Amino acid sequence: MPVISSYSLAPYSGKWETDDLLHLLRRTLFGVGHKELEFFRKKKLSQCLDVLLTPTTALKPPVQEDPDLTDPLVPIGTEWIEAPFENEMIDSKRSEALRSWWVSRIIGRDFSLTEKMILFWHNHFPIEMNIVKDARYDYAYYAMLRTHALGNFKKLIREGTANPAMLVYLNGNSNKKAAPNENYSRELMELFTIGKGAETRYSEDDVKAAARVLTGWKDNKQDIRSEFDPLLHDSGDKHFSPFFENRVIRGRQGADGAGETDELIEMIFQRTATAEFFCKNIYRWLVCAQMDEQTERNIIKPLAQILIANNYEVVPVLRILLQSEHFYDKAFRGCIEKSPVDFLVGVIQQFGVTLPSDISENLLCSVIIHDFIGGLSMIIGNPPSVAGWPAYYQAPKYHRWWINPSSLSVRMELVNNLNSSVGLKCNGPYIKFDLTMFVKQFKDPENVDLLIDHCVELLYAVRISDAAKNKLKSILLSGQVANHYWADAWQKYIATPTDEEAKNIVETRLRAFFKRMTNMVQYQMI
Amino acid sequence: MNRRVFIKNTALATVLPYFLGSLASCTVKSGKQKPVFVLIQLIGGNDGLNTLIPLDQYPNLSKARPNILIPENKVLMMNGATATGLHPSMKGVQDLYNNNLVSFIQGVGYENPNYSHFRSSDILLTGSGSAETLYTGWMARYLETQYKHYPEGFPNQTHPDPPAIKIGDTGSFLFEGYKMDMSIVIDAYKSFESPEIEPSGNSADTYAAHEVNSIREILLQTKSYSNVIEKALKNKFSHSKSYPKSGENSLADQLKMVAKLIDSGLETSVYLVDLKGFDTHEDQLDAKDPTKGTHADLLKKVSQAISCFWEDVNQMGREHDVSGMAFSEFGRRIKSNASRGTDHGSTQPILFFGADLAGGIMGKNPVIPDTVLGSDNLALQYDFRSVYGSVLKKWMTAPSTDIKEILKGDFPELKIYKSRS
Repeated sequence: MPVISSYSLAPYSGKWETDDLLHLLRRTLFGVGHKELEFFRKKKLSQCLDVLLTPTTALKPPVQEDPDLTDPLVPIGTEWIEAPFENEMIDSKRSEALRSWWVSRIIGRDFSLTEKMILFWHNHFPIEMNIVKDARYDYAYYAMLRTHALGNFKKLIREGTANPAMLVYLNGNSNKKAAPNENYSRELMELFTIGKGAETRYSEDDVKAAARVLTGWKDNKQDIRSEFDPLLHDSGDKHFSPFFENRVIRGRQGADGAGETDELIEMIFQRTATAEFFCKNIYRWLVCAQMDEQTERNIIKPLAQILIANNYEVVPVLRILLQSEHFYDKAFRGCIEKSPVDFLVGVIQQFGVTLPSDISENLLCSVIIHDFIGGLSMIIGNPPSVAGWPAYYQAPKYHRWWINPSSLSVRMELVNNLNSSVGLKCNGPYIKFDLTMFVKQFKDPENVDLLIDHCVELLYAVRISDAAKNKLKSILLSGQVANHYWADAWQKYIATPTDEEAKNIVETRLRAFFKRMTNMVQYQMI
Repeated sequence: MNRRVFIKNTALATVLPYFLGSLASCTVKSGKQKPVFVLIQLIGGNDGLNTLIPLDQYPNLSKARPNILIPENKVLMMNGATATGLHPSMKGVQDLYNNNLVSFIQGVGYENPNYSHFRSSDILLTGSGSAETLYTGWMARYLETQYKHYPEGFPNQTHPDPPAIKIGDTGSFLFEGYKMDMSIVIDAYKSFESPEIEPSGNSADTYAAHEVNSIREILLQTKSYSNVIEKALKNKFSHSKSYPKSGENSLADQLKMVAKLIDSGLETSVYLVDLKGFDTHEDQLDAKDPTKGTHADLLKKVSQAISCFWEDVNQMGREHDVSGMAFSEFGRRIKSNASRGTDHGSTQPILFFGADLAGGIMGKNPVIPDTVLGSDNLALQYDFRSVYGSVLKKWMTAPSTDIKEILKGDFPELKIYKSRS
């Protein structure tokens, strides 16, 4: 097993190198290119975290932008999130618009951890939009994730428990006194809060009792919200097992019955297991999928105590983790396979791909990018199940789950199309790499050895052998040995940028060079 | 996306050596070839009580699940089974049963059932007990006895083909071996393309190096099988005309692909396909017509897919080489809920298909008590590892010592198959 030198949450006090900064950015943003590196390069670690841990500002909701769709109640350019439900066909279009809009938020994001946390929560506390079947509910769910992305775990779960989309998704809206439906209460404990492990000995009866507590919640399509119906609520007492210290939630009558839900959430969040479960999950997203015993003892448990001490606010925990000696331990560099979003959005960010500026074309483009990400097994808005994506729970593979021959060939197909002279067809427009622009932003790009070192530093989280670097070099030198061939070609292009031949010579080499760089397995790692 | 942009020339270039090797085996007569086992995973937890319906329990059944009851007169009858019937949408399976090509095992599960989808499917796929965690699939452990030290030295002249094939876009725990996934994953809706592999593995002892090397190994292994797979997929087989249009029944599409691969002469002995959507907490059936709705559609797909697939197997004359089973992570609760659905339960009936089955229905109809509580579950009749062990023993003809090792214990053998002639 690899050697971890530090199991300490003490602030990292080593020299703050570019490599450390890149490690932080790769784990907190989707894709790190020149723009990100330049923005953060002069900042100290604590300043970087100040930026990354600041939530992005509120957004304008999505609008109807699809020219091919006639939504009689929603003219083009207007919002639909409070419009009446039309029919399934129109609703599925609205849902599609929402999901693409979500993707376009990720692409056009600020330098904040917000987007990654939204996806984290979506995986941790998911709905499947094709089951919910009401785009307005889906939006309310998304808005909730966004509000709490860098907020409070407990508040998110409390709010989500009665969120209309969640009530539909896990049948909370059919959980009634006469016939309790325990679907939500089971997942609440197993997947959202306490988790299922050796130390989490809640019982089958606890699941049933919690289901009874939660009877009475209904969604309301008219007002796009949820409500509590005392007539459907089981007002008997609910008894819990020794795991919950034999707690009794006293049955309440009338509208007061909703207060039992607060008690239940409070009771669940009093378990240390709930805090530890969150810390393990976030650790898997940000640091490493594998956790040894020392990590559990010296990292997870203390973080859980910090989470509890902060009444489940997540930012203090994230700050301590992301500034810790442990996080910057060299053992973790490049040990996470890119998720499809990391991969595709990353490619777009890194290589200066310009999306169409026309708002409608831009949206269509986001639709396609959403579908491409979906083609890589991550359909945002529609995770495969209530447990989210297996990459975040399935031991021992974890993140490696994303990578198999079929998904990898699709990843390469996408990146190779983007890295072609025509580009990748994105509905109407084509989008593609701007490689000369990318290379110009390095210092001394005419120096082939430096250029390779800089590219490796920026694009790879893992080091590659000298032999691999030499292969890369031979591409830029077209098999020649003298470095000046590249320098000559580059300088000629810079001196006469309108000379087609000079440009072509540089571009073809760069295309082959970056094809190799992006097709190597190392490029899959962050 | 235009896939043609990406098709590789290598696909056409180097298939010849394998072509000869693989086709040669096709001339062997039916019944002498290596057995093929096809697993159909019904994801979500199939409601067994509405699949294989206990007719002698109707009075109590109609009390326990009044809102999802299949009308007794719509239940499909099976030859020789007076007390047990089939869901009305399973016409194809009914015919197969009547011809002794389908059989059932009642009440399959394990002690201390786990009601989590994820945990229970892990238990079923790894073949572990309720309280133990295994990191390899039960089928992978069997395949490792056949392909020793896999992937080292494979493929080779005697074993040119992959041990197992998973149809879909990701692998399965079922095939997760000690060293690596024993299956090649083929997507039924995309063309199969072997990946390019860039050099430079990493020998350093870091987490990243470990990950990069694991991915490279998977790629190298797939690449080494890609020629035989590409060749097999080009096999021109005239499928049964009964198949639905592509995209209508994903299970049928997947099994169609399996039929083509089997017919191509691949020595691959295990296939896994799946169908999602069995988690019917709500609106399991149509409010107006109880024979229609979500669950009916799913069972229809299962029934149609198996019967089309069996027509293909017949067509290729391999009915004594091919068999399979359909299973879920668990059955559902006896009592229905108020949303015309059912919650997670324990045991389930397992369906087998093949020409060498002992036949009939093994085990008793589940007993539905007079008063059913929401938490009541069907009794366990057979441990699922007894089922696995019997398949390994009689169908795959694995030695008992291996089986004990694979299943981590002794489980009574069930007479699922006649001896394979």
